[in-house]
Amino acid sequence: MRLFRANLGKLRRRPASWVTFLLLVGLLALLVFFIVVATRQINDPQTALGARQFVTFPAAYELVLQLVLSLGGLLAVTYGAAIAGSEWTWGTLKAAVARGESRVLYTAAGYAGVAFFTWIGVVGAFLAGVAVTVLAALVVGAPLDGMTDVEALSRMPELFARAFLAVSMNAALGFAIATVARSQIAGIGVGIGVFFLEGVASVFLPEVLKWFPFAAAGAVASGTFGQGAAISSGLGTRLDPDVAIPVVLAWLIGSVAVACLWTERAEING
Amino acid sequence: MAEAASTVSGGSFALATEGLAKRFGRQVALDGLDLRVPTGVVYGFLGPNGAGKTTTMRILTGLVRPDAGRVELLGRPFGRGDRRRLFDVGALIEGPAFYPFLSGRENLRALAATGAPTSRTRVEDLLGLVNLADRAGDKVSGYSLGMKQRLGIAAALLSDPKLLLLDEPANGLDPAGIAGMRDTLRALAATGTTVFVSSHILSEIQQLADVVGIIARGRLVREGPVEDLLRAAGTVRVRVDGTEVAAAGGILEVAAGPGTVAADHGPEAGWLTVRVDPARSAELNRALASGGIFASRVEVGTTLEALFLELTGTHPDVGSGGPEARGPGAGGPGAAPSTGTGTVPGWPS
Repeated sequence: MRLFRANLGKLRRRPASWVTFLLLVGLLALLVFFIVVATRQINDPQTALGARQFVTFPAAYELVLQLVLSLGGLLAVTYGAAIAGSEWTWGTLKAAVARGESRVLYTAAGYAGVAFFTWIGVVGAFLAGVAVTVLAALVVGAPLDGMTDVEALSRMPELFARAFLAVSMNAALGFAIATVARSQIAGIGVGIGVFFLEGVASVFLPEVLKWFPFAAAGAVASGTFGQGAAISSGLGTRLDPDVAIPVVLAWLIGSVAVACLWTERAEING
Repeated sequence: MAEAASTVSGGSFALATEGLAKRFGRQVALDGLDLRVPTGVVYGFLGPNGAGKTTTMRILTGLVRPDAGRVELLGRPFGRGDRRRLFDVGALIEGPAFYPFLSGRENLRALAATGAPTSRTRVEDLLGLVNLADRAGDKVSGYSLGMKQRLGIAAALLSDPKLLLLDEPANGLDPAGIAGMRDTLRALAATGTTVFVSSHILSEIQQLADVVGIIARGRLVREGPVEDLLRAAGTVRVRVDGTEVAAAGGILEVAAGPGTVAADHGPEAGWLTVRVDPARSAELNRALASGGIFASRVEVGTTLEALFLELTGTHPDVGSGGPEARGPGAGGPGAAPSTGTGTVPGWPS
């Protein structure tokens, strides 16, 4: 527990935590801005209508969540990689091991701290995204009645649980990659590379790639609010949200296990 | 690694290794290293770059596993699964490692959350000890190298260790910092803490260490109390007129024995170094005088640096005026003796 607490203290002070969060919120705001612009496409009524649906609640909840998951998923990978990689780059893992700390516990506690901050980031970004979307809805004149949709709100806890699972897995993936690479930069680079590679490969092998981490993470919280399912279904072949849960869980546990075992067996030379 | 029942030294040493071996690919880092570090001493661990010092330190702290050999820490075998033995060991390896975005105090607290339980008052005490109390709230990224080093020493002392392993602790320290570190380490040794220090500053080790171990190419080449080693490796250096070097060399060889005399070249031309018990310096001077040669100076003794250079087969890299100047006198009075025959001695390479 003291390791976990110490990690929270470190991550709270770490610039990467705040930079990642602000980047996510900034990108969300930018995307919503583009959607607002799209609603002004008077020459293309279909596009304008589609864009307007994006900022209409309760489906907008899912839109925001999907944006948080897709953008946040990539950022979670880089965040996890940055935290894990720096332990090797800065030699702080070495210092802890030389004090007799368990490598597995240290790594697991390190990941737990990352997961905790990732969750806070998702909640914060979601709330910021909803606020921006409300502003957008007001700008385009979309109704806000759906915001208080009881059924939608009652599903919020499940929605967040799914989102937390998805981004936690993304962070774990980056964490594991950087641990294996023993480098912050390499971890971030490889994490981003895997993200885009999976995206490109899914065009050609959708049935295979839907089981891969980023696709599965995207599927976990999709279709939660009906209309959102229609929106997200256009993004490609996806796993059923309930099937995606164990898949994402397996990726998460596998990634953390790889990070822990790799650290346990590694020779710490740097 | 070691079986629990058997110890390298019978448990009588603070640190001991036996046949320690480690390879990195084709590179041999350690080749059967045997160390014996008595309890409560300052042990100077010396060796040229790449000799295996840091690899040894890493093995001693469980960062790296040896390919062969045994390690004993604080009288008990240390191997895989014995990480809690490190609760009584403090270490600074390859320079201090800290989070740059945290303050010195926060870094120590973060580190104190690992390994042996450590109180907050201990952190404050150590910040005071290394003279960082005033800057403890500043981010480490703003620290100078010397301040980071001092913080690293404080970090190594967090668990109030019985065995302290320090890799180049004087790096980046100013003279006052070095003197402070020396006092601290001596004080720790006086209270029974064993201090194991690797350093390239040989004059510092000569002042600080009770016992030294010198390694080269992954093996121990000499180990023992500093005074004993220096006495055993004693030399007499004689200064004569430049035109009389050859004649003086001949006389000294007759007096001290074949292969004991080396003549210096370059800036130190005129000096002859004789590998002989320093107690025989008067005898050598008398022999020269009998031969009609009068020494303008006679110096006795050697330095740890000279001994180190001889044992490790290394030589000064720069500032020696080229290969010709790489004679035993290149380091000034007290520099290493050569095993040459007295005319054109050179450093082993």
